[in-house]
Amino acid sequence: MNAMLRETESAIVPLAVSGLVHCYEGSNALNGIDLALEPGSVLGLIGRNGAGKSTLIRAMLGLLEPLAGEARVFGEPALQLSDAAKARIAYVPQQPEALAWLTAQQMLDFVGRFYPRWDKAFVTNTLGRWRIQPNKLLAKLSPGERQRVDLIRALASQPELLVLDEPAAALDPVARRELLREVALRAGESGTTVLFSTHIVSDLERVASEVAFLHQGKLLMRCSVDETKERYARLWLPGKMSAAAPTQSLSRRRHDDGSLSLVVERDASGHWPEAASLPGARVDALGLEDLFVEIAE
Amino acid sequence: MDASLLNIQPTASEPIYRQIVEQLRRLIAGGQLEHGELLPSVRDVAGFHAINPMTVSRAYGIAESEGLVERLRGKGMAVIAMRKAAQSESQRLALLEPQLQELARHAHELELPAAPVLRRLTKLLGE
Repeated sequence: MNAMLRETESAIVPLAVSGLVHCYEGSNALNGIDLALEPGSVLGLIGRNGAGKSTLIRAMLGLLEPLAGEARVFGEPALQLSDAAKARIAYVPQQPEALAWLTAQQMLDFVGRFYPRWDKAFVTNTLGRWRIQPNKLLAKLSPGERQRVDLIRALASQPELLVLDEPAAALDPVARRELLREVALRAGESGTTVLFSTHIVSDLERVASEVAFLHQGKLLMRCSVDETKERYARLWLPGKMSAAAPTQSLSRRRHDDGSLSLVVERDASGHWPEAASLPGARVDALGLEDLFVEIAE
Repeated sequence: MDASLLNIQPTASEPIYRQIVEQLRRLIAGGQLEHGELLPSVRDVAGFHAINPMTVSRAYGIAESEGLVERLRGKGMAVIAMRKAAQSESQRLALLEPQLQELARHAHELELPAAPVLRRLTKLLGE
C-alpha cells in the first residue's frame, strides 16, 4: 500500500516552471526560463555571479512573484502552496535570517515539531561534527555557521524536494564532502529530488545527474553531466584555417594570434565536425568547468 | 574489494561511470581482482567517493554486460576473472586503445609520418 502511494506521488513532477520572466530595476534577471525536474534527479545549476540563480530558485519555489510565467511545486501553483506540499520541501537560502532570536538548538527543536519525519539523531550528530555550539543565538553565529544550521534543519526534515542555494560557500572541504555524500545517497536511495546552485563545478560533477547553465537570465544548456563530457569538445583551429570553421558552434572565440576556439558538438552518428580532422586542427576534451567558461564568456 | 581501490576524478573530462568501468577492466586484467571477489556495494562506492549512486549502478551495469562481473543474488557483483592467456589478443589490445589514440594524436600534431614512429615503437617493444 505504502509503495503504491509513493508511486502515485512520484508521478507528479516535483518542480516545474515555464516562461519565467523577472526584472530588477530595469535589468532582466530571468528571461523566459522553462525547466522541470524529474523525481529523484539531482540538478546542478551553474552560473556566474548575477546570472539569476537565486532569483530563479526563489521564483521556482513561489518565494517571489515573477513578472510572467508559471511555477509549480508537486503540481500545485508555487504561489499558493498547501501546507502538505510545504512539509515535503526543504529550502536553504544563501543567507538564512529567520528565527535569529533563538539558539540553534531552540530553533531546531521548534521547527522539528512541524515535520512528521524529523530525524533528531541526525541533528545531534551533525551539530557536533559541523562544530556548531547548540546554545549560541543564531544572530551571533557567523554567516557560514548560520547556513550550516540551516542545512542541518533542511536535511533533518527528510524532504522529498531539497533546494540548496550555494550550499558550498559555508562549508569547509570536509563538511562539504559530507553534505555531498548526504545529497547523493538520499537521491539514490530515498528518491529525494535535489536542486542546488553552485559555482564550485567539481561538487556538481560528483553528485549531479543533470546540469543547467544559467547565463544572463537564460538557460544556455541543460543535459546530463556524462553527456556534456561526451558530446561537447573544444575545437582549436590555427588562424590560416579559420575559413574552414564549422558554422554551427556553441561558442566562438578568436585569439590574439588569429587562431579560433569553438565549442562543437558530435553529430547524430557521433562524429565531430569535418574541420576537426584537418591537419593542424585540435580537439580537446572539456571538463564541465572548461565548458562553462567557454560558453559563458 | 574496497571502495577506496577506485580512484575517482570528478573534474576529468572522462565521465565518472567510464572511469569506474575502465578501472575495473584494468584491475581484473592485471589480476588485482580475482575470480569470485565481490565488488563493493553501489552504496559503499557512492558513499565513499560522495558520488551519485546512479553513476555507480550505470558503471556496474556496463561491467556486467561486458562480462567482467556477474550479479549474484543477495550478494552483489562478483568478478569473473579471465586469466591473461584466456583473453584474446584483440581484448588485450583494446585495453591499450586510449594510449594508442593519444600517441597517434601527438604524432599527427607533430606532423610526423607513420614510418619513423612505428620504427621507434617496434624498437621499444624489443622486436
